[in-house]
Amino acid sequence: MTTRAAAAGAALRTSMPGILLVAPLVVFLLAFYVIPFAGMLRESFGAWTGDPEAVQAADWTLYQYQKLFDSARTLRALWRTIEISLIAVALTFLLSYPVALLLLRLGPGLRSALLTITFISLAASLIVRNYGWLVVLADQGPVNNLMVWLGLFERPQRLVYNKWATIVGLVHYCMPFMILPIYGALSRIPRSQWESARILGAGDWTTLRTVVLPLSMPGIFGGTTLCFAICASAFVTPLMLGSPATSMISQVAAEQLLIQLNFPFGSAVIFTLTALMFTLVFAYALIVRKVLRINV
Amino acid sequence: MSEGRIYRAVVTLLGWGAVAFLIFPVALTMLVSFNESFFIQVPPAAYSLDWYRNIGNIHEIASATLTSLGIATLGATLVTLLAIGAAIAIVRYPLPGKAALTAFLLSPVAVPVVAIGIALVQYLIILDMAFTWYGLMIGHMVLVAAYPVRTLVASMTLYNPSIEDAAASLGANRWVAFLTVTLPQLKPGLISGFLFAFLISFDNYPISVFLVRGGLTTMPIELFNYISQNFDPTPAAFSTVYIFVVSAVIILVERRYKVVSLSVGR
Repeated sequence: MTTRAAAAGAALRTSMPGILLVAPLVVFLLAFYVIPFAGMLRESFGAWTGDPEAVQAADWTLYQYQKLFDSARTLRALWRTIEISLIAVALTFLLSYPVALLLLRLGPGLRSALLTITFISLAASLIVRNYGWLVVLADQGPVNNLMVWLGLFERPQRLVYNKWATIVGLVHYCMPFMILPIYGALSRIPRSQWESARILGAGDWTTLRTVVLPLSMPGIFGGTTLCFAICASAFVTPLMLGSPATSMISQVAAEQLLIQLNFPFGSAVIFTLTALMFTLVFAYALIVRKVLRINV
Repeated sequence: MSEGRIYRAVVTLLGWGAVAFLIFPVALTMLVSFNESFFIQVPPAAYSLDWYRNIGNIHEIASATLTSLGIATLGATLVTLLAIGAAIAIVRYPLPGKAALTAFLLSPVAVPVVAIGIALVQYLIILDMAFTWYGLMIGHMVLVAAYPVRTLVASMTLYNPSIEDAAASLGANRWVAFLTVTLPQLKPGLISGFLFAFLISFDNYPISVFLVRGGLTTMPIELFNYISQNFDPTPAAFSTVYIFVVSAVIILVERRYKVVSLSVGR
């Protein structure tokens, strides 16, 4: 018993400097991240008094969650969020993987230029980039002009303020977050792996399918997970490029808070989204590990 | 054509096509900013600089940009300082539950951004700190703290701690060794962590929208409001200036510190 206590004391002494170094950040996050989130969770189990300044959550009730699952509009927004996110992640992957492969093949000068462009678009304001899509898809914008010129549209069509404009905006926003980790994973594949596939007679497509894709899986997993999280919690993009009929779940939660001032219901909506996101990411990780047997 | 040549052609075509998709809206915004017409028109029939002169007419844009700059600078500095300690602890010291702790420190990136704003506004009202510049800055700090932690851990993992021991064996005390040997080695991680934190804070809308009220406002809020209420190309002019400034900063920082390569490796 005493030796165990002594061992525990020694362990504490050796980890003391580390604890002291990490403590300021942990305390900050506890004060302004964990406690507010716990408060929000508690509030989502409360009743709404109608007065946002005097929120009363005296008793625990599932009322807000019941209301959420009874509300067809909220459920539709939740489903739409998942659908838009999955489509956007798939499209982002299809566009980004060739860019990562291209980066690998380019000479150092072009590669660094292309990486810098990717980085700049990552850093360029989301609002600025969405505005760019408002311009591209405008009634007199280049896409409409091209379609009319090609004779595919009789007259300019309204291309913005719908689900697909939102998806295009999300794909554009997510691309750097997909390109960088996949390129990182590709650049770590040893040269010898490519060569041995070639020596064994595999063509480029076979090498891509059987060697390169599985070995870049950690990058793919990181990129797709991050993009899914970004899309599922998207707020600004559907606000700028979508319409009220195509609103995503973050908008529904924000509207409850900013317009209806219904904090308990807004909290319940946002918690359902958080829980759903974590469940889906966890299931995804499980599938990749167990079914595909790839360690990510 | 041989299989190899087809493969290379397909990768080149798809790759550059995707890059064009990435650049196109930004390039077009720049073009439209010089358009003389009130309506967005591509290609412009006549060119002018009028919309650049009109930037000043975006409501409170100067003071909002100053507020955003101030909050992003101070907030990013503070989280970077907090992250130095955390990263050193994670990489160099034994800690109980290190994996869980690291996951916790990086988790604000994974929760819905709107949730941070929603949770904080209710909490800050109780603390009587809501709708102040420091309340807003705290919201941004929660969101961006993970970035310097990640870049510092990445650059420390690459770095060899025995150099510090060498400094100590040459008679430097721990603080001198830290300031003259460790800190310069951490510079790329520090710079890119600060840069990420700064840019994400500067650009944030979904947290700010809950934490501003009255005279307190930020650049993204005012830009967003202008875009949703007006159709003229003034936001295009503003965006062009923004992209130029951000590109200049990134290219300069990349030349000196190789931040881009650091964001690729993990």
